[in-house]
Amino acid sequence: MTVLEHPMTAADPAHPDAARDPRQPRERLGALFDAGTLREITPADASGAQAGSGQIDGMPAVAFASDPGVQGGAMGTLGCAAIVAAYDEAIALGAPVIGLWHSGGARLREGVESLHAVGTVFAAMTRASGVVPQISVVLGPAAGGAAYGPALTDVVILSEAGRIFVTGPDVVRSVTGEDVDSARLGGPEPHSRRSGVVHLVTATHEEALAQARRVAVLLGHQGTLVPAAARAADASGPDLAAMLPDSPRRAYDVHPLVNGLLDEPGLELHPKWAPNVVTELGRLGGRTVGVVASNPLRLGGCLDATSAEKAARFVRMCDAFGVPLVVLVDVPGYLPGVGQEWDGVVRRGAKLLHAFAEACVPRVTLVTRKAYGGAYIAMNSRALGATRVFAWPDAEVSVMGAVAAVRILHRRKLAGVPAERRHEVEAELAAEHEKESGGLARAVDLGVIDEIIEPGRTREAIATAIAEAFPSRGVHGNIPL
Amino acid sequence: MAEVRAEMVANVWKVVTTEGTAVDDGDTLVILESMKMEIPVLAEAPGTVTKLAVAEGDVVQEGDLIAVIG
Repeated sequence: MTVLEHPMTAADPAHPDAARDPRQPRERLGALFDAGTLREITPADASGAQAGSGQIDGMPAVAFASDPGVQGGAMGTLGCAAIVAAYDEAIALGAPVIGLWHSGGARLREGVESLHAVGTVFAAMTRASGVVPQISVVLGPAAGGAAYGPALTDVVILSEAGRIFVTGPDVVRSVTGEDVDSARLGGPEPHSRRSGVVHLVTATHEEALAQARRVAVLLGHQGTLVPAAARAADASGPDLAAMLPDSPRRAYDVHPLVNGLLDEPGLELHPKWAPNVVTELGRLGGRTVGVVASNPLRLGGCLDATSAEKAARFVRMCDAFGVPLVVLVDVPGYLPGVGQEWDGVVRRGAKLLHAFAEACVPRVTLVTRKAYGGAYIAMNSRALGATRVFAWPDAEVSVMGAVAAVRILHRRKLAGVPAERRHEVEAELAAEHEKESGGLARAVDLGVIDEIIEPGRTREAIATAIAEAFPSRGVHGNIPL
Repeated sequence: MAEVRAEMVANVWKVVTTEGTAVDDGDTLVILESMKMEIPVLAEAPGTVTKLAVAEGDVVQEGDLIAVIG
């Protein structure tokens, strides 16, 4: 039923090179797990895929790998059964499952039988969604069914040689006449910056496996939160307030702030796609947390259609696996414009509202500088059910910035002011407006901000809020929004 | 050769660099003003500014060329 197309590279112990082919599933699985821990769930055969279990930093994990040496890793009935067996084992163990992909898609010569088999893989992945962490590592071409496999999982890692597309360059050329190479069609550049299919790109396959191990441990072995450790980091760690520029108008890169808050620099997902919101896994006080942070350096930190969708998926993933959320807010609003409206900022922005409002995990918000308008609501506000909402002393929470507000409220009066005095009058009116509308104090009175905290105790305040909250977890899948 | 383009509609508030200047990854090229904020535009790779396509006071649309780093 299955045919060895490239017997030289298949598991053939008699062949001197066989044991050394680094593309063999057994080799790749062995390299993924801690040395010597691989236990085969399905045998090395001509099925096109092999499943195994093992350990990652001592934690149980399950994995499967395509066999590019057999029909280019194409997925047939037996190979798909191996993948489903990996999923059954992962669910039984409650362990992360990692797919190492290198496959041209469904096996042509098996016809509809292979399509059905690929469908059973998709169904297994969907059943496991939100139950056990799923990580995909794409080490070679992953086309058709092999593209949608990774796409259904929680985190997709692409090594430099990896390619993901529904139809390869040859088909594109013959159907549409478009001449495109595989890297431009589905390589690291398009998937990291444009499509959002890939969460992480790595230079080598070794690094791709190392990142998969890191994600698996962050999600699968989350650690115990020790607020005292966070308090110690407040005393010894970098000064977080110093990471904001002097001028409240000046944009800045939020990465040093996110990484300074965490015990050590975390693992950013989707770093180049929708970079105006940063989504990062890391440890705070020894426990895994997910950080969602506005990044003012990009698009001023505005929420837009793509970043709302990216953050929504991240929030839902963290919720499904019980990872508490830390939300760092410095947001001027939603990005205005025709492009955004036509891009569905209303529909896609609604996903973030839904994701936060339904999240059961502890989720703590810190307004570092400003939170305006609809974006204030979306970034895990009190109304959406935040566990705690903190603000630094100079933060502003309002419908819009005070100066912008008085420009609307006092348009006529300002029109009569000579241009050279306008700035000064605006500032006066803004100060008055802030006093009247209440600024931060009013937000505290209303209870939409729980507490104004000194930046020097940020880590402790967030860690304590998470530690005191009920450690719940959302019961839902992680649909790839 | 890397093209630096505007990510959003903005006013060019300050031009920090000049053509022919050697820049490093992360150096500020120009500062835009949008959403009532001053938003630095940074070089994403080391090189030399071979072309500077904007002047202070210009309005850039999303996708407009700001500079070329060669």
